[in-house]
Amino acid sequence: MKILVITEQRQGKWNNTSFETLAAAQQIAADTGSAISAAVLGKGVANFADELASKNIAEVLLVEHDLLGAYTPDGYCLALSQVMESAKPDLVLFPHTYQVRDFAPKLAAMLGKGMIADCVGFHKEGDKLVFVRQMFQGKTVADVTFQGPAPWFASFQSGAFRADLLAAHSAGKAPVNKISVQLKPEQIRTKPLELFKEVKSAVDLTQAPIIISVGRGIKAPENIPQAEALAKAMGGEMAASRPICDEGWLPMERQIGSSGQTVAPKLYLALGISGAIQHVVGMKGARTIVAINKDQNAPIFEIADYGIVGDIFEIMPALTAALEKAKT
Amino acid sequence: MTVQREQLEADVLIVGAGPAGLSCALHLANLIKKHNEAIGATAANSGGPALSAENIYVLEKGREVGAHQLSGAIMNPKALAELVPDYKNSAPLDTPVTDDAALFFTQGSSMRFPLTPPPFKNKGNYVVSLNKLVKWMGGLVEAAGVNLFTQFGGASLIYDGDGIAGVITEDKGLDKYGKPKDNYTPGYELRAKVTVLAEGTRGSLTKQLVEKKNLANINPQAYGLGIKELWDVQPGRMEPGFVAHTLGWPISTDMYGGGWVYGLSNNRLSIGLVIALEYGDPTFDPHAAFQQWKTHPYLKKILDGGKLVRYGAKSLPYGGWYAMPRNYLDGGLIIGDSGSFLDSQRLKGIHLAIKSGMLAAETIFEALQAGDTSAKTLSAFPKKVEHSYIKKELWQVRNFHQAFQHGLIPGLFQSGLQFISGGRGLIDPMRNHAGHQAYKKLSEVGHARPHHREPERFKGDGKLTFDRLTDVYHSGTRHEEDQPCHLIVRDLNVCVTKCVVEYGNPCQYFCPAAVYEMAQDAVGNPKLKINAANCVHCKTCDIADPYQIIDWVVPEGGGGPNYEGM
Repeated sequence: MKILVITEQRQGKWNNTSFETLAAAQQIAADTGSAISAAVLGKGVANFADELASKNIAEVLLVEHDLLGAYTPDGYCLALSQVMESAKPDLVLFPHTYQVRDFAPKLAAMLGKGMIADCVGFHKEGDKLVFVRQMFQGKTVADVTFQGPAPWFASFQSGAFRADLLAAHSAGKAPVNKISVQLKPEQIRTKPLELFKEVKSAVDLTQAPIIISVGRGIKAPENIPQAEALAKAMGGEMAASRPICDEGWLPMERQIGSSGQTVAPKLYLALGISGAIQHVVGMKGARTIVAINKDQNAPIFEIADYGIVGDIFEIMPALTAALEKAKT
Repeated sequence: MTVQREQLEADVLIVGAGPAGLSCALHLANLIKKHNEAIGATAANSGGPALSAENIYVLEKGREVGAHQLSGAIMNPKALAELVPDYKNSAPLDTPVTDDAALFFTQGSSMRFPLTPPPFKNKGNYVVSLNKLVKWMGGLVEAAGVNLFTQFGGASLIYDGDGIAGVITEDKGLDKYGKPKDNYTPGYELRAKVTVLAEGTRGSLTKQLVEKKNLANINPQAYGLGIKELWDVQPGRMEPGFVAHTLGWPISTDMYGGGWVYGLSNNRLSIGLVIALEYGDPTFDPHAAFQQWKTHPYLKKILDGGKLVRYGAKSLPYGGWYAMPRNYLDGGLIIGDSGSFLDSQRLKGIHLAIKSGMLAAETIFEALQAGDTSAKTLSAFPKKVEHSYIKKELWQVRNFHQAFQHGLIPGLFQSGLQFISGGRGLIDPMRNHAGHQAYKKLSEVGHARPHHREPERFKGDGKLTFDRLTDVYHSGTRHEEDQPCHLIVRDLNVCVTKCVVEYGNPCQYFCPAAVYEMAQDAVGNPKLKINAANCVHCKTCDIADPYQIIDWVVPEGGGGPNYEGM
């Protein structure tokens, strides 16, 4: 089987989900004895192709064109359908990013194929490759498989696979093959304007290894600095549950949970957070969860690795002092 | 700031892609297609613009068609059979009703009525997921060439003389203070020859219109609140197609309400409780009552070992015939739940919504052909209703729910008399007050003045029963957080000075999504905190607030629950 992974870069930056999807592809390849090609699209993206070549894959497909400089759904679909023709993959994998949500279903429909989007895993049933999708917000999962001839399309959810498990190329580098595509300006119906970010100076909590998060237990905005001092001592980022951001005590982009960000840091310290399911779904993937709460029945303790039943206003300053002391 | 709005013009604009709105769109598109085929008309050879399905617009505030659809649901298929004659081949009907039971609950035991009373008989009907059914209808409507815009809500009406001329959709990209963000897009001004309000229960535009143009009938609309959970249960617990209705515990006999348990295919179960929003105790908590109801041995046995997969809540209008607003005016029609097309006895409205949509479509088709969409022409709609089975069904039960205003026992007696007299009963028409007027003051129901009281809230065991936040999570509701609050309380002072003393802030109890919360400000005074992002669009607050100062308005399009499979 031949697997093609479509990676995503934008404005000189990787979307890290690309590497998670590549890791997924490596696992599928190991299970099915497949070869992986990884494609990168854009204008002047040879250095990205180079980086991909260092991973354990069979080849990199470098697809460059002036009209791919800025993302357009028409440009990407037309270019990728040509890539499909020359590479003839059996399975095409995408990272489930906003951009992919935009063009991948369109591409699949153009080629008369179905797509299994937003998968969190895969397994083999006999010869059949089965993909796993969440339903009812993760309450149940569904096994989905393809019917009909290849190519098949699927995308993987961010965080479903670990990019740090991505294997490097054993013999140095994979070959980079250029694929030239034909695109005409009149084929592209959307005009990309300047990019804008809705939230200014948004912090990307998803990249933070240590997160200190406060909940209703912090009681008043005057107490936030105590938690911030602890965060500083631990070298972590501040975050909060919804009530805190609702009140404006911390900015909205620091909200963790179903209506905020989903994070999976190495360490998550929950201060005065009861652990409503809305919050838990945003942080349950953390490697180690430490919870401090007055209420011993608080649901947060059900998922915590370490818990302290106690008053955060006693523990926060003590922890901060101990950490400062250890540093000196 | 003057807002430059983009304008679009259509022949017909339908607000709301539920059973009524989509039936109207589909039937109209079908009539136009048939007509154009018959006369071979195109814009070129008929001399004028031909009617076209493309000039029918449908607005839907949900993320996708069906996202905000919630019902039990048992559907009588007769209207769908008229709309889509081969519906049996393609509609997601789930399962036909195979057996039905009416149960009377007391705490700890249940009694099955030896004969299922006629209103609870459901042979020939289907247990359906309204979400799936409406999604399917949406597909048919789009295939017919109608323009269906999801994630757009109707924010305000464009008034024109005695009638209406269209709708302005909600502004997108405002922050919580109402200031434009980078992605700000002002709402569109959509003008149409006929605007059809198919917003469902307690439509926000319908409410404005009925007030402004005095369209109300002799009775105010009466509402119930339905709270529902979808469960996956252990195999063999309930036959698909078995439907049970319960009366009694935990609903006291001075209240009106009851439960349902419907067996769907694949061991899925629809369960729920409907409670009339006209109860006396202002601290009554419908969500807690629903959770308590699940602990009845009859239900516990069925649900044990199962898993909650979805939660939702929605009000339903069961005022019936005498609460039906005038449903036509210059350039406008009101259909479906917004127009009170619901059988108050059987609490069934899907087939009546579909039929009302079809009759509206026929009315509009004739009006467009005549080039006259004035109230005079559109008055054909209520006449069509009058001559259809809608009138027949609603007329028989025209006094039904009013009979229960003073409790279960007098209600059963009076409705019995109505049954044998073709709906007339002792008094006809029987009047009713608006539900929110039923509240008794705290002092009258024996509650201490709850100033600064932390109300003890239902917690749940996390297996069979759940607290509200956990349930809200299972509604899949989501809203852009940084947007103006879509629950407008006209005078927040009333909450903290008057309501807290008189009624103890019922909003914190009746809301099944934990939107309203009495918190304290920095100096310890009570203040109302509105967690608008939790809202599941049930409209209970707009209905049940004792002072009628809450206005539910549409949030940014796409916000709201995700009633997949409901």
